[in-house]
Amino acid sequence: MRFAQLLQRTLGFFAAAVLFLMMIVTAVDVVGRYFFNKPLAGGFEITEIGLALLIYCALPLVSARREHIVIDTFDVFMSQGVKTFLNRLADVVCFIALSGVGYILFKRAVRVAEYGDTTNVLLLPLAPVVYTMSGMIVIAGLMHLVLIFIPHAEQAAFDSKEITQ
Amino acid sequence: MTEASIGLLAMLILAFARVPLAIAMGLVGFAGLWWMRGLNPALASVTSTVYEAGFEYTLSVVPLFILMGNFVTRAGMSRELYRAAYTLVGHFRGGLAMATVMACAGFGSVCGSSIATAATMTKVAYPSMKGHGYSGQLAAGAIAAGGTLGILIPPSTILVIYGLVTETSIGKLFAAGMLPGLLAVLMMCLTISFITWRDPSSGPAAERSSWAERFDAMKDVWAVAVLFVIVMGGIYGGVFTTTEGAGIGAFGAFVIALLRKSLNVSVTLDILIESARTTGMLFMILVGALVFANFVNFTTLPSDLKSLVSTHNISPVAVMIAICAIYVILGAAMEELSMVLLTLPVFFPLVVSLGFDPVWFGIIIVLVVMIGLISPPVGMNMFVVRNMLPELSTATIFKGVMPFVYTLVVVLALLVAFPQIALFLPQALKL
Repeated sequence: MRFAQLLQRTLGFFAAAVLFLMMIVTAVDVVGRYFFNKPLAGGFEITEIGLALLIYCALPLVSARREHIVIDTFDVFMSQGVKTFLNRLADVVCFIALSGVGYILFKRAVRVAEYGDTTNVLLLPLAPVVYTMSGMIVIAGLMHLVLIFIPHAEQAAFDSKEITQ
Repeated sequence: MTEASIGLLAMLILAFARVPLAIAMGLVGFAGLWWMRGLNPALASVTSTVYEAGFEYTLSVVPLFILMGNFVTRAGMSRELYRAAYTLVGHFRGGLAMATVMACAGFGSVCGSSIATAATMTKVAYPSMKGHGYSGQLAAGAIAAGGTLGILIPPSTILVIYGLVTETSIGKLFAAGMLPGLLAVLMMCLTISFITWRDPSSGPAAERSSWAERFDAMKDVWAVAVLFVIVMGGIYGGVFTTTEGAGIGAFGAFVIALLRKSLNVSVTLDILIESARTTGMLFMILVGALVFANFVNFTTLPSDLKSLVSTHNISPVAVMIAICAIYVILGAAMEELSMVLLTLPVFFPLVVSLGFDPVWFGIIIVLVVMIGLISPPVGMNMFVVRNMLPELSTATIFKGVMPFVYTLVVVLALLVAFPQIALFLPQALKL
């Protein structure tokens, strides 16, 4: 459990740093280009890689806190036992699905590494990014595996539910 | 048609069995592709969707706008916005409810999240309305309804996602949302006027403010106005792209929050992590919906729908009214963003083939989402208001929002009848 918390904190910190960097890079790029006629070389690429890292590092956090959007329209008609059973079943489905996606993305990462793909301007290697993405998806899957045994986690996650619309 | 129907059915069964929608859509999309095209093409399709969603530059607009909204929310300019609107219209009957709607529009435009807007405004406007003897019904209705305005008035996350999924220009969509947004504000104020005309005790007039007080209140809202003008002006003026606009907006909101001393290191970290999680959650839905859309596009459903319409000689407007009706009903029972992403692959090709403007349809979609957000029984904004105001009964809130549901339906009807309301501005700006 303590390990899971440490992992979440680390990932959260990393995702926060990436997002902050994306914001700064964009601002510096635009200001530099508009006022000093000097855009930030490769700012575009940092943003792209940042986005990939941001989304997939946040994924285990979303899973761990059960913040994925679930249709709960019919909850009123379900007993707590049925709900708990369905939640566990859903977590199994999520675990299998995410592990599968993580695996096929891992195979893609191996290929990217073989080809030695890099970005165009800064020549940043892409393979580590894709490996990270696939690893994070697998970790998110594992979070669901853990959640099968912690039905109470649901309540805490509901309290901090926020959806952007 | 059969494959798509089975797919939709399987999707709904999974979703109602509490499988997260993103996973349900992705799984069914994958299974469908496997069935129709074989295992390897299906695997390849899923891999590239997951991979490309991560590396798509234009998508970085999403986390940056979310971040901007969260910084703005934290900076807490809602109180000042409400005060400014209050000094302007507070002396009318129902004026505080109108001020709430206006402040929601201003706050929601830069915040972009209807839930955050409703939550923030509940804290600011409800005590003030209550103190002036407003009925809980009107107060709750105005807050819940006003909260939805932020997704119509640019910049708006849902317009961004619509633009990305349908490959429609986000700049045009933003411009198109402007006038309908103002129209919705106006109509809501008229509704409040009507409610308080029927029942003057529900929203008594407050004291009139002097012009000195009005100017004084205006001074406090300049930060929001400047942020809005920089981001939207920059995008329309061609100074930067939408994605860069989002980055500048986030940075500007960060600076404003810093200047207002609302940030320290740990709060900033919290805001960043929260924005990252919201982004992760949205992208899962997006990836799932894209995989599902890949499958639907291989089925005959989109073309079957088109031929159904053409063989039966159904008029385009009738089709549009039917689509709106389906959305309003679905929106009453389903989470709105998922509803849009799930149905777009089916409806969008049909709508475009009938000659409707994709930009205009985007605004229509936002309006039906707004209606869904305040429609009983599961409108998200109602729940926000109810959770924050336990002293009001659910029935009171239901009764409070209904006039605004009708108001938005009227706005929707006006937009269907006069598409120019949405399309005038993008055309005038030559976007």
